[in-house]
This record gives sequence, structure tokens and C-alpha cells, in this order.
Amino acid sequence: MGSPAGVILSLDSVLILLMAFACLGSKLFDRYLTYYGVQSALLAVAAGTAAYVGHDAALWVLAGLTLLLKGYAIPTAARRLLVRRLQLKRDARMFPGLSVTLVVGAGLCGFAYLAIGPQELAHGLLSAAMVPISTAIVLLGALAMVVRRHMVAQLIGWLIMENGVFLGAVTLTSSFPLIVEAGIFFDLIAGFLIMLAMTTGLAERLHPAPPGWRREAL
Amino acid sequence: MPYLLQALQSLAVLGLCTLYAGAQTRASAVLQSKRGPSVLQPYRDLAKWLGKSGVVSDQAGWVFHFAPYLAMACYLTVSTIVPVITDQPLPMAFLGDLLGGALVLALASFVMSLAALDTGSPLGGLGASRTTWIGSLAEPALILVFFTVGVLSASDNPYLMNHAIAASPAAMVLPTHLLGAVAFFMLLLAETGHIPIENPAGTIEISMIEESRVLEYSGREYALVKWGGWMKLFLLSAVFMNVFVLPWGLGNGTSLEQGLLGVLAVLGKLAVCGLAIVLIDASFAKLRFFRIAEYLGGAFLLALIGIITSYVVAK
Repeated sequence: MGSPAGVILSLDSVLILLMAFACLGSKLFDRYLTYYGVQSALLAVAAGTAAYVGHDAALWVLAGLTLLLKGYAIPTAARRLLVRRLQLKRDARMFPGLSVTLVVGAGLCGFAYLAIGPQELAHGLLSAAMVPISTAIVLLGALAMVVRRHMVAQLIGWLIMENGVFLGAVTLTSSFPLIVEAGIFFDLIAGFLIMLAMTTGLAERLHPAPPGWRREAL
Repeated sequence: MPYLLQALQSLAVLGLCTLYAGAQTRASAVLQSKRGPSVLQPYRDLAKWLGKSGVVSDQAGWVFHFAPYLAMACYLTVSTIVPVITDQPLPMAFLGDLLGGALVLALASFVMSLAALDTGSPLGGLGASRTTWIGSLAEPALILVFFTVGVLSASDNPYLMNHAIAASPAAMVLPTHLLGAVAFFMLLLAETGHIPIENPAGTIEISMIEESRVLEYSGREYALVKWGGWMKLFLLSAVFMNVFVLPWGLGNGTSLEQGLLGVLAVLGKLAVCGLAIVLIDASFAKLRFFRIAEYLGGAFLLALIGIITSYVVAK
């Protein structure tokens, strides 16, 4: 057994991985956002643990920002501005089907472990489980973007990928430059806003069309 | 003394599984603000059925009559090899490990499916086909779950698994163990016909899964079938609690008092497990049939992630 912080981080990262799987295995837009919000909150816990161990004020700021922005602001905004406005409910369009996707996801997880080879990682890391798990989360987000056909669902796949990158970055590097992470944060927000503007713009252009048709077109 | 304890363990399973089932029925009635039948109702039911003669279809062959006895024998065999009241292997425990126990349980399910096909009743065939489908999906997941505990204890013997986890309580919070425990609980619900797979109190034949296999039974054979089902629930719950959740409090198998204390301990643990099952029964809906594959796939996935995690999270 590692240190208590290592145990918390391992558990937390496995939960984050499970949230990525929950997102991949769900079919309701509302659920995607819920799972993404929970995942981001768990990510904030991971960042907070890393900050506590490293006595790093910048990481504390990051943990707070993550909880506030990713855990609350983005899911809430997406729910109000995308899911409610476009009346999105069920995301049926995916190929291949749900069961195959989950099996492929499990395979990608295994691939991440094989590719990283956590046994060969440097000792002294907070939790060696982080590297393969964050890689697996990135791959799962990419898988969500590949199998889903709907733009909003793909957006969430992209956000999950970003969470995977963030998890790896926060827990691996002892002092992650705040400025880099803040830059990524603002990239994320900017991307989210662009996506929002694009979908709402499209929705307005398609305004005369019936909502069902609009849902299909996006 | 060990043989006495061995007999006590099997008798406890035989005699208390009815109490466990009755308590669950009562608890789920209380949850719905009803009074519900007495906790002892299953005993009265058994006594009533055992005193009745059966009405059997003229299409039924020897398989139909033979199956309940063989299934009962299977459950009794499993009751001798898994840890229920002691954490030391009893004399008959050499018969099998957890995989062996799962094999014997699968045999019981197989003969019951054969019996359901034997009468030629359409609902029996439906039930047999559904149960076999679910079993074929649940079995690989179950084997993976045993591997998750196996990587922690380096064994697939339930007693050694129990010792490994009881000896290092910190192993309880390892992701591997937690994922394995959740996956086993999901499979327990599936194997014993509880929500979200099947409504245990359901009465609509067309939506039944396991229950529709036994619709043709009556009288003494029906009593055996029901009794066997309760024993299966009791045994799987006991394995869940004794191996996965609370591996402590079992007697060490040296004296009769220890065994009796073990019986009390297992009743206490089962109260916890039964409450969880009842709460799930009350708060979730039954899954549509073809979504059961997704549920069982989820259990498989949890176990698989647990095994993969065991290679990266330091023990």
C-alpha cells in the first residue's frame, strides 16, 4: 500500500475512469453532462490531493477553478444553452452499438496499460496508476467522439479527453506551471464558447424547421 | 468436531435461508408502507407444499421429476464448500474452490432449464431460453470477479480470500477489491432474480425469467424448487459478505460455541446485505430484456478494470 494520498488518488482516478465509461455507456444528453460534472468534481479532488501533498498554492487554485468551471459552470451552461434549447433528449445515433463500444473501451483501457507499462515508470510518483488511467481516459474521450454522431455528444467526448490530459498533468508533474494550465483552461472555455455559438447559430438558421428536424440536422 | 460444524453449517443454510427470504419479503412490504406477511411465512409455505401431492403434466418425463432433487443436492454441496459460519475450511471444503462452486450452481441452473423444457409448456421454454442467455453472459463476468479477488489473495479458494482480506483491512479500499465487490453484487442480483433483472414479486408470466421455469411444478417438488432458490440467495449473499465485504467475525471452527456464534454473525451480515437488496428492489425499475446484456456487460467491465488496475496500483 502506498501513502494515504496515493490511495486516495488511485481510488479517485479509477472513479474518474468509471465516469468516462458511464458517459460512453449512456444514451441521454442530460446524463452525459451529469457524468462530466461528477468527473470534473473528482478531478478537482485529485488536484486538491496533489496540492495538499506538494504544498502547492497554484495547484489549490487549479483545483478550485476545476470544481467551479468544469464541475459546475460548463455542465450548467451546456444544459441550459444546448440541451434545453435544442430539446435534446436521447442520443440514439451511434455506431457501433453500445455493447460493442463498451467492449472496445475496455480494450482501449487494456491497451493504455500495455502501452504505458506502469511497472517501468520512475519511482517516487504520487500514484503510478495515474499515467495509464489518464491515457485510458483520453482514449475513451476520443472513442466517444468517434462513435457518437451528434455534435453535442462529440463536444462532451472532447471535454472528457481534456479531463484525461488534465488528470495526467496535475498528478504527474510536481509543479505544473499555473500559466500553462490556465492557458489550457482558457482554450477550453474558448472552444466551448465557439462550439456554443456555432450550434446556436445553426439552430437559429434552421429556426423555421420543426425541432425534430433541427435535432437531426445538428 | 469439524464434522459437527460441517453439519451445523449445512443445517444453518437449510434452516435459515427461509428466514432470510421471509425477512426480505417483510422488509420490502414495510418499505412500501404495507404490513406484509410474517417473517416466518416461508416456513409455513414450505410445510404446506411439502404436505401436498403434485399435479404433473402427462408430457413430463423423468427429467422433470429428477431435476429438483439434483438442484437441491447441488445447493447442499455448495453449502459445504463456501465459508458461511467458519473461516477455517471444514472437512468437505476440499470439494471445490469458488470456480467449482460456480460450476455446481451452473449445473443446478442447467437441470432446472432442462426440466422447464421437458414439459413442453411454452412459458417453461421461454424461461429456460432467457435464463440460459443471461447465464451465458453472467458466467464470464463471475469468473473475472473471482480473478479480482484472486489477484489480491493469490488464490481462488474462498477461505484464503477471506484470510487475505481479513488480515490486511487496507486491501478493502484498493480499487481492485471495490470494483470486484460491486461487480459481484451486480451478478448476485442477476443470478438470484432480483431487480433490475427480474421482479421477485412479479406475477406476469410473460415477463418472468427464472420463475417461469418452475411454473409447472407443484406440491413437494415445488417446495424443493423454492427452497433451493432461497438457499442459492442465502449462499451467494453469505459469500458476498464473508469474502468481499465483512470477512471478520466468523468462528475459527474449533468448537460448537464458535460455530453458533458464527451463525449469529452471518445472520447479522445477511441483514445488511438483505437490506441493500430490498432497497434496490424498491428503488429501481426492471430493465428491458435486451438491456440486461448492457447491465451484465457493465459488471464484466467493472471486474475487468479491477483486474487491470491491480497491475498498476501498489498493493
